Amino acid sequence: MSDIAIRVDHVSKKFRLYKERNQSLKSAIMRGRTSVHEDFWALKDVSLDVVRGQTVGLVGDNGSGKSTLLKCMAKILYPDKGSITMKGRLAALLEVGSGFHPELSGRDNVYLNGSILGMSRREIEMKFDEIVDFSGVREFIDQPVKNYSSGMYVRLGFSVAIHVDPDILLVDEVLAVGDESFQAKCAEKFVELRKAGRTIVIVSHALGTLASMCDSLVWLQHGDVMATGDPATVIAAYRGHDGP
Amino acid sequence: MSIRVNVRRYRELFVNLTQRELKGKYKRTILGQLWSLANPLALMVVYSFVFTFIIRMTPEPGDPSGLDVFPLWLLCGLLPWIFFSNVVNQGMGTLLANESLIKKVYFPRSVLVLSSSAAIAVNWLVEMSVLVVALALFGAWTVFLWLPMLVVFMALLAVFATGIALALSIANVYFRDTQYFVTIALQLGMYMAPIIYPVSLVKVQSDRIGPLFANVTLLDIYRLNPMERFIAVFRRLLYDNDWPAFDDVIACVLWAAVAITLGMLVFSRNQKKLAEIL
Ligand SMILES: Nc1ncnc2c1ncn2[C@@H]1O[C@H](COP(=O)(O)OP(=O)(O)O)[C@@H](O)[C@H]1O
Ligand SMILES: [Mg+2]
Repeated sequence: MSDIAIRVDHVSKKFRLYKERNQSLKSAIMRGRTSVHEDFWALKDVSLDVVRGQTVGLVGDNGSGKSTLLKCMAKILYPDKGSITMKGRLAALLEVGSGFHPELSGRDNVYLNGSILGMSRREIEMKFDEIVDFSGVREFIDQPVKNYSSGMYVRLGFSVAIHVDPDILLVDEVLAVGDESFQAKCAEKFVELRKAGRTIVIVSHALGTLASMCDSLVWLQHGDVMATGDPATVIAAYRGHDGP
Repeated sequence: MSIRVNVRRYRELFVNLTQRELKGKYKRTILGQLWSLANPLALMVVYSFVFTFIIRMTPEPGDPSGLDVFPLWLLCGLLPWIFFSNVVNQGMGTLLANESLIKKVYFPRSVLVLSSSAAIAVNWLVEMSVLVVALALFGAWTVFLWLPMLVVFMALLAVFATGIALALSIANVYFRDTQYFVTIALQLGMYMAPIIYPVSLVKVQSDRIGPLFANVTLLDIYRLNPMERFIAVFRRLLYDNDWPAFDDVIACVLWAAVAITLGMLVFSRNQKKLAEIL
């Protein structure tokens, strides 16, 4: 189907939980093996379709596999079973400011980070002012980023990432970034992206925000999909289950 | 997304990462990029002092260039060696050093190793240019005729070294010992290649001992070292200003092909798992 932007098809992801991991040659030889591990399934047979232009939220307790699912979508991790098909240009906001080089100026880092996220030089040049204005660190843009406060650092990183202008945007718990006015700006930006028909998958614990911005929600629990669909219904089910 | 878009996209990332490497390294130093010349120069001074003043080492004069300057002779082998050693040493650590990036963003991970090599290659290019000018000033004018060949072999050495760096960068993720082991191996390797002494001294010993087994001599074993071949070619081109030996040329091409094939194979087999095993 052409209007499916993301198809997650029976995806399972296993991690190895190491009881013993011999990363030095000595211990590997002495014990005659490189590791002792147990398989841990962080995602179990997850299937899900995201229609183009929709905003889908992932909810679930800590450790339920939300980040793992996003990372599989972003091709950072690879599923052990099943497959994921993405249609369109992808940007993932898993952690902002990764790849910043502390000694380089904010300006250089915008270019570097932009290209890590897949923007071309020309694109960054065009959007440069917009990125800097959005971040609100214009006075410091030619300072090395190691002199930035952690808030400034995160804002600049977020600002670069959100200007990638992808078809599909994956966002993992980074909405809680920066002060209130910056958060308001971010919320506005998301509205703008939605209007522009972007597909967004977002992880958050702010159920209220999710309810207002998502078309549907997916509730994950221990790697299983417990419920999907209308935000109010899923939140009710999640809350009901969660309660003591 | 078409392949062409992908290539363009990651070429820009490659260029930017290389620039990060070059720009970030000498930030806040007064001499800046000049520091990259300091290490080879310091080694040259020390070795020249030791091997011309304390231990008399007299390599054959350049033929047909007629050069007879030990420090220049030394640099013709030393600069390629330092380049090789830096590419392997630094390339090996790039995956560990960029762990946070690998865990957060998708991009072909080999770009990290390639840009580390490229940054070192830029410095090497500067060093070699200075050396070529110095060789000409000391009388080897014909060196300019060999520049095209020189560029080809510099590219081959870069390919060879990068192939090894690709494979070792993966090995280093599994076993952190790799970097310490390789650092030592490289230090020893420098004395196992004819960098500070001419290969003719090895030949003398080899002839004195005679064949070790069957027809194999010490020299044959010594020449299994790929860097011996590369250095022979560089000295021929730079110091002698003449055609390199045909078997050396073939050996260099083969070694480069083997190293890059192996490196890419090991890398592509493991790159998907990197975010997990790091
Ligand atoms: N690299 C890893 N190695 C081993 N276990 C992991 C790894 N990443 C995540 N896990 C485990 O997988 C489970 C799901 O994690 P995650 O997707 O981060 O949960 P969350 O829903 O809180 O984002 C957790 O139990 C976590 O411990
Ligand atoms: Mg998480």
